[in-house]
Amino acid sequence: MKNLRMKLLVVAIAVALIAVISFGTLAFYSTTGTATNVITAGQIDLAIHEKTADGQDFPAEGVSVIPGDVVDKIVTVENVCDHPFYLRVKLVNNSTDLSLSDDCLQVNLNTENWTEGADGYIYYNSVLEPGQITEPVFTQVEVVGEYVTVSNIGAIMSLTVNADALQSENNPAEYPWDAAGWAAE
Amino acid sequence: MKKILSLILCLVMLACGVVSAAAAEGNVTYSGDAGDFVFEPGTEHSVTDLFPDLKNVMPGDTLSQQIQVRNDASNQVKVKIYVRSLGAHEESAAFLSQLQLLVEQDGDSVLFEAAADQPAQLTDWVCLGTLLSGGTVDLDVTLYVPQTLGNEFQNAAGYLDWEFMVEEYPIEPEDPQPPKTGDETPIGLYMGIMAVSAVMLGILVLMMVMRKKKEEHES
Repeated sequence: MKNLRMKLLVVAIAVALIAVISFGTLAFYSTTGTATNVITAGQIDLAIHEKTADGQDFPAEGVSVIPGDVVDKIVTVENVCDHPFYLRVKLVNNSTDLSLSDDCLQVNLNTENWTEGADGYIYYNSVLEPGQITEPVFTQVEVVGEYVTVSNIGAIMSLTVNADALQSENNPAEYPWDAAGWAAE
Repeated sequence: MKKILSLILCLVMLACGVVSAAAAEGNVTYSGDAGDFVFEPGTEHSVTDLFPDLKNVMPGDTLSQQIQVRNDASNQVKVKIYVRSLGAHEESAAFLSQLQLLVEQDGDSVLFEAAADQPAQLTDWVCLGTLLSGGTVDLDVTLYVPQTLGNEFQNAAGYLDWEFMVEEYPIEPEDPQPPKTGDETPIGLYMGIMAVSAVMLGILVLMMVMRKKKEEHES
């Protein structure tokens, strides 16, 4: 009986020791994790708006005109990106009738807010901030009678507005046309 | 009086607004027990994105991003935290190779200075330090975008992976005592003592039963 008691005591001490040892040992954990970091580039974007005098979109199919007509067409440009930019436009006359002069369509250029450059572009005088819309480039187009004759009946005359925007952040310039980075024609 | 209170309230709200509008910080947190790292804040581009301030970059920009690495494990362990770069994702290399990245630790030692697509000095694991519970390491990331960044990179997105590793070590007596955080009651130890006590009690009862049987047998 004494032996049995001794054995039980040894077992009890062993259990106690195992319990204590298990609390005295800490695992050396190791783990890893991956972060996928992202850098994104901004962009410059604009929208050209062409409206009639009553605020409707100018008809894409155009309007019928006769020599001497003056058509209401209000052209503005909107900054539709998150960054301010310099702006310039170029007006290009196109006609299906090659005999028509480039001067057959004349616009009433808004020289208060836009400046004609020596390079043929028309520059907006201010930096256009995100969400802003320019003052109109022009509001009317005149079909100049002296350049349009009976022989031009049926011809399609079009005036295309091309716009370029240039980042103004990190790109200071006294005048828009002096800014660095305008694309060469 | 009401006007003054309104004015104070407005100023407080304005101050709160200013704080919330401040630059976002990236956070890497290790919570212990070999659990996962937590990467915050994440963005629409990646849930583990640590670069919330390096978005929408433009030619000529110099942008900064702060990242805090933190050990939130219990007071029982200290951790060594390592970082390495796995470089840019293949489709991002052309864009990221245009950009320069500088990573400094605690505003002092330079960990990384190279084109953003390269693993460079972070090709191998770099130890950021040994952190006790609540300890932090600050990483300052600076991105340089060249004026010459071309139009072809408008709206581009560059992905680069950073891997973090942690090793846990027990606190040594000579280690500084970390600040106590939360309930540090050693529940496991108490449970162990309770289990050992139960075993001992069982043995005692067994011995008493056996003695009683022996006495009955002798009588």
